[in-house]
Amino acid sequence: MKKYQLNKKQLPSFIDHLKKQGTVFAPHKKGDASYSFAKVVESDSVILEYNRTLNSIKKYFLPPRELLLSYSRKDNSYKKGTIGKEKKIFLGVHSYDMKAVLKLDYNFTEGNPEENYLLRRRNSSFIGVSFIPDEFHFSQSVGMPVHDTDGFDIYLEKNDDGYTVKIITEKGEKLIKEFNGLCDALDISSNHIQFQNKLKYNYNRLPEVFEQSWNAEVWEEVAKRCVGCGTCNLVCPTCYCFDVEDNMDLSLQNGTRDRSWDGCMLNDFAAVAGGENFRKSLADRQRHRIFRKFRYITYITGEPWCVGCGRCTAYCTAGISIVDIVNQLCDEYEQKYLNRPVEQSGLNLEGL
Amino acid sequence: MTTEAKNKPKVAFFDFTSCEGCQLNKLNLENDLLDILEHVDIVEFREAMDDKAEEYDIAFIEGSISTPSCVERIHDIRRRAKMLIALGACATQGGINAMKNLQPIEEVREAVYGDEKYRFPTLPAMPVSAIVKVDYKIDGCPMSMPEFLKVLKSLLAGQEPIKPDSAVCVECKLKENECVFDKGMVCLGPITRGGCDAICPSFGQFCTGCRGLISNPNKNAMLEILTEHGISLDEAKKRILLFNSYDHSQSMPK
Ligand code: SF4
Ligand code: SF4
Ligand code: SF4
Ligand code: SF4
Ligand code: SF4
Repeated sequence: MKKYQLNKKQLPSFIDHLKKQGTVFAPHKKGDASYSFAKVVESDSVILEYNRTLNSIKKYFLPPRELLLSYSRKDNSYKKGTIGKEKKIFLGVHSYDMKAVLKLDYNFTEGNPEENYLLRRRNSSFIGVSFIPDEFHFSQSVGMPVHDTDGFDIYLEKNDDGYTVKIITEKGEKLIKEFNGLCDALDISSNHIQFQNKLKYNYNRLPEVFEQSWNAEVWEEVAKRCVGCGTCNLVCPTCYCFDVEDNMDLSLQNGTRDRSWDGCMLNDFAAVAGGENFRKSLADRQRHRIFRKFRYITYITGEPWCVGCGRCTAYCTAGISIVDIVNQLCDEYEQKYLNRPVEQSGLNLEGL
Repeated sequence: MTTEAKNKPKVAFFDFTSCEGCQLNKLNLENDLLDILEHVDIVEFREAMDDKAEEYDIAFIEGSISTPSCVERIHDIRRRAKMLIALGACATQGGINAMKNLQPIEEVREAVYGDEKYRFPTLPAMPVSAIVKVDYKIDGCPMSMPEFLKVLKSLLAGQEPIKPDSAVCVECKLKENECVFDKGMVCLGPITRGGCDAICPSFGQFCTGCRGLISNPNKNAMLEILTEHGISLDEAKKRILLFNSYDHSQSMPK
């Protein structure tokens, strides 16, 4: 792997160099204390040191609201929405969000390939950046270390003077070609990033827990504090559910078919014609949400479908933590199936 | 009901106890109004014209029911309307008016009308649906214009309008708003019925719950969220009841 040094003051010219090759999307400040991916206009407004963005880069491949087609009732015709072919460069992506894109690739390719997602996903390059985990991140606990470069074309690892630039793919090589702001890599070893383990069990032991968790008490307990607002679904980088709606214009002849993100915590999600709702209670919905992350797809792929970004917890107004839910499931599992009192389980969270 | 029919549907607007803000809001439609007139005949609309008709295909009602004469009038309109639609928080859920129900009614009457109170018979403020059948509700204070147009278009095209039953938070997330809780405010968005495109949080303001609550509001959990963010329990209840007294004061946790 080729390595270079990018000094801090060269960053804007590096971004300018990328802009010549495609549309660059990167984190920017949003509101009082948040961050959001946006198209880069001014290279020096990009922020590469951030905890998490409100939404992940999923929004560029599966937009929150999207026109599927426009139709005319007059001549019974329709036209699909157009999807641009522009080259997109995503700069400053954290490893867990990259992993989430790879997971969505699987979801939208297996079975019925999802045309719009795959069209939007074309011509994308990814430049990762290291991050300092905060209280909500647990990506390492689900098997994704900070420096995991899977999916990236280039990886930027923060050091005292700027970044170590690691070229991962040929595509990455091309992106930096002809950029003369890079220096020789510093003679430093990759810095170890402290990541306190947050899950009680190693993620590869979770399937055995989830096998026994359908009737766990935690679902009802969490439901007491949950308002069913759906935030945890909508901010999740691996959630992909959507709803489709027709919207007519005032001529009552022409209209559009639009889709927007949906979530399994919401009332209309499991409602079917005739007024039935097959997942009425918030406890059942909470179980479904968590099973979507740790059991159903995991059963098929062998991987957790949660990337440990911490968004669902950080943005839940009720303070419901997915880490606490999983750990409580582990506790219940031990008590019921291993007949071990929790306090004597002897597990040392720090050391895992 | 389709516009291909020779006669355009007759549409009428009526107001009851309200600020008439919803009707004014509708006059602001401007361009769209002309397009709407292509499809409907407005036969009665107190703010705009003074024409009386006997029957209506759609009667839009603004305002809550709060006097014996309101009750009579709404029965009369319902008899003459094929379809009746409540417009705005006062009509759909009693709105702010229903806060008066939280006090003994005689005290309220005295405070408002003083010595003249016997000339003004009054009732607890009620949504239109408390008295007659309401076919659709268009929420908001003032009512949401996009929702008004959406419902009208669906009805004119002979389709069933869809009513969202998810929280304002959903629209906040679709727009990638920073949550106002993170700006140090408290917000009723988590249990308030969306459909307004989260307009208040989108402008940095908290949601006051004007569109009413979703069909399964977990009020206990909402109260906990509010008190966790430094609001007293009493104040938290008052905030939820501001627009929702009629439907939710009885079931409010003690
Ligand atoms: S974000 Fe929190 S309160 Fe909202 S549905 Fe999810 S768990 Fe429940
Ligand atoms: S479930 Fe929560 S922590 Fe896991 S990927 Fe989704 S939002 Fe992130
Ligand atoms: S089922 Fe629920 S958890 Fe799954 S993708 Fe849909 S919203 Fe997300
Ligand atoms: S600002 Fe209000 S409506 Fe928006 S996400 Fe936060 S709590 Fe929900
Ligand atoms: S955000 Fe809340 S207060 Fe504002 S219009 Fe929507 S429902 Fe009403």
